[in-house]
Amino acid sequence: MSQTVIEVSGLKKQYRSSVGRSRITALDGIDFSVREGELFGLLGPNGAGKTTAVKILLDLTRPTAGEARLNGLPAGHPESRRHVGYLPEGHKIPGYLTARQALGIFGKMSGMGDAAIKSRSLELLEKLRIAQWIDVRVKKYSKGMTQRLGIAIALLHSPHVLLLDEPTDGVDPVGRREIRDILRAEAAAHGTAILLNSHLLSEIELTCDHVAVLRSGKVAAAGSIEELTRRATQYKLVPAAPVDDALIGAFRESGAGVERVNGHMLLTVDDVSHLNALVDKLRASGGMLTELSPVRSTLEDVFVDLVRAVDPGGRSDGQASEGALL
Amino acid sequence: MKVLMANIEDVMREAAARWTLVAYFFLSTIFILIFASAINLDIVDGALAGAKLFGKQVEVSGSMSIEKLVMGFESGFSGILYVLCTFLAIFATAHLVPRMQEKGTIDLYLSRPVSRLKLILSRYLAGMILAGSNVLYLMLSIWLIVAWKTHVLHPRFLLGGVVILFLIASLLAFAFLIGVVTSSTAVSIMATVGIFLFGAMLAGHARIEAALSKEWEAAAIKGLYWIMPKTAEIGAAVVAYVGGPQMHNDFLKITPAPFVSTAISGFVCLALASWLFQRKEF
Repeated sequence: MSQTVIEVSGLKKQYRSSVGRSRITALDGIDFSVREGELFGLLGPNGAGKTTAVKILLDLTRPTAGEARLNGLPAGHPESRRHVGYLPEGHKIPGYLTARQALGIFGKMSGMGDAAIKSRSLELLEKLRIAQWIDVRVKKYSKGMTQRLGIAIALLHSPHVLLLDEPTDGVDPVGRREIRDILRAEAAAHGTAILLNSHLLSEIELTCDHVAVLRSGKVAAAGSIEELTRRATQYKLVPAAPVDDALIGAFRESGAGVERVNGHMLLTVDDVSHLNALVDKLRASGGMLTELSPVRSTLEDVFVDLVRAVDPGGRSDGQASEGALL
Repeated sequence: MKVLMANIEDVMREAAARWTLVAYFFLSTIFILIFASAINLDIVDGALAGAKLFGKQVEVSGSMSIEKLVMGFESGFSGILYVLCTFLAIFATAHLVPRMQEKGTIDLYLSRPVSRLKLILSRYLAGMILAGSNVLYLMLSIWLIVAWKTHVLHPRFLLGGVVILFLIASLLAFAFLIGVVTSSTAVSIMATVGIFLFGAMLAGHARIEAALSKEWEAAAIKGLYWIMPKTAEIGAAVVAYVGGPQMHNDFLKITPAPFVSTAISGFVCLALASWLFQRKEF
């Protein structure tokens, strides 16, 4: 049984406005957890509280209420960060350092010895295809190269938990795939839990197993990508031969919605037994099917629907449950 | 220890890359070279027969021994070095906290398994090593030049460097406090130079107090005097200490009070800077 390495419960954060005494709620009681080896995506529009949640985990900022734990220790305890790698959004690795020097300094700050830093640095820079730049100052790097170096710094001490804020920002498509592969390999080989904070929904969809969507400081939806993107009542049916109008009429009489699209049908049914009844009707009429699959939304569809679903008071609603859209 | 080493490496590399280190030692070297070429002493049978400063003859009384001349010279020079070393140290180290607190950089430091207290204190120590290396370079070079030209070794001059470093430690603590609060290098430099000058001005606090009409104003000036680093008194103490009892009657007047209050001032600033840094949200 894999262990929970990130635990967030009832986390609230209010910022004081610089003008007056008003307070701005960044997080309004969020809960989520990440297990070792899990790739978890944190989604949300600008100002939803994603970065604040990560900053609380790293003790860069403190919660107003609630609790956050890393590796079983309260966030804020320096030892909770012993096995944590972090890539902040818009990170500034000092430009006067070379990659070798930057990795050396941050490796030492993570408690690594010189020999371990040297071998791991070379390994990571080769994987990230910037090994030939190891002795060039960071200020000469392109944005994508700086991002790769940031990932190398985050991965340097083989962390159990990786917190990544927009890790593929500025990286070309080939590089994105390579980074995705490296992250997946880390998770698989070392059981590294990865919390990915990104606006690139396709990136999250391709990388993560589970996601939580934040909206106005609350978790609006959480669950596996499959759960979130499945349209529970819509199925794609591809018949072996064209279905006649009489059968389609019978489907509609049963209460199903039927839409013909390029040789296949989109069936909207009440539930799974309703779907099976329609399949039975097709078979009884001598028809055969070559494909029957649930229709999925893209993560972007789900995200846009969630972000647009604001209650009349202008606030998001509800608490999330596993795999539920609220 | 690894954290301290990493911070020292970071501070030194930054100082080297940003030309701070080069400028720091270049200015010091120019000062040393001017000093070396400006002094010409004519010593006959261990006694001073004549002296030239910047090519001009200096009148030397017949009874003055070379030892006394060196002592007097080094004593006066230590006062110049006191100001020079302190100002160079402020300019070279005031950025250490503001630069670390920059958005995108501080995240990288604080995400390591290092307490904030350890982080800021190791940075402070790294800054002191940078400033200390320059004080050592200047003092040792001047001392060696004087020893080379006069064959007189006067170790008190080197110990004057320790007192200079003491004041730098106190002022660097203040620069750290301002840096933590404002995240601005410019404000850190201005405030620290300001405190140096204000502290010197307050050396005449008794006369200022006497000139004030209200009692509370006089009390405020006296209070400020005791809170501020005693930059004038410590400068005078450096000069008197290097000169020794033979050269300065002021030597006998050196009391621990300015040192104690300056040490307390520095300690409070560093403690406050550490406390605020630990509480700060980024």
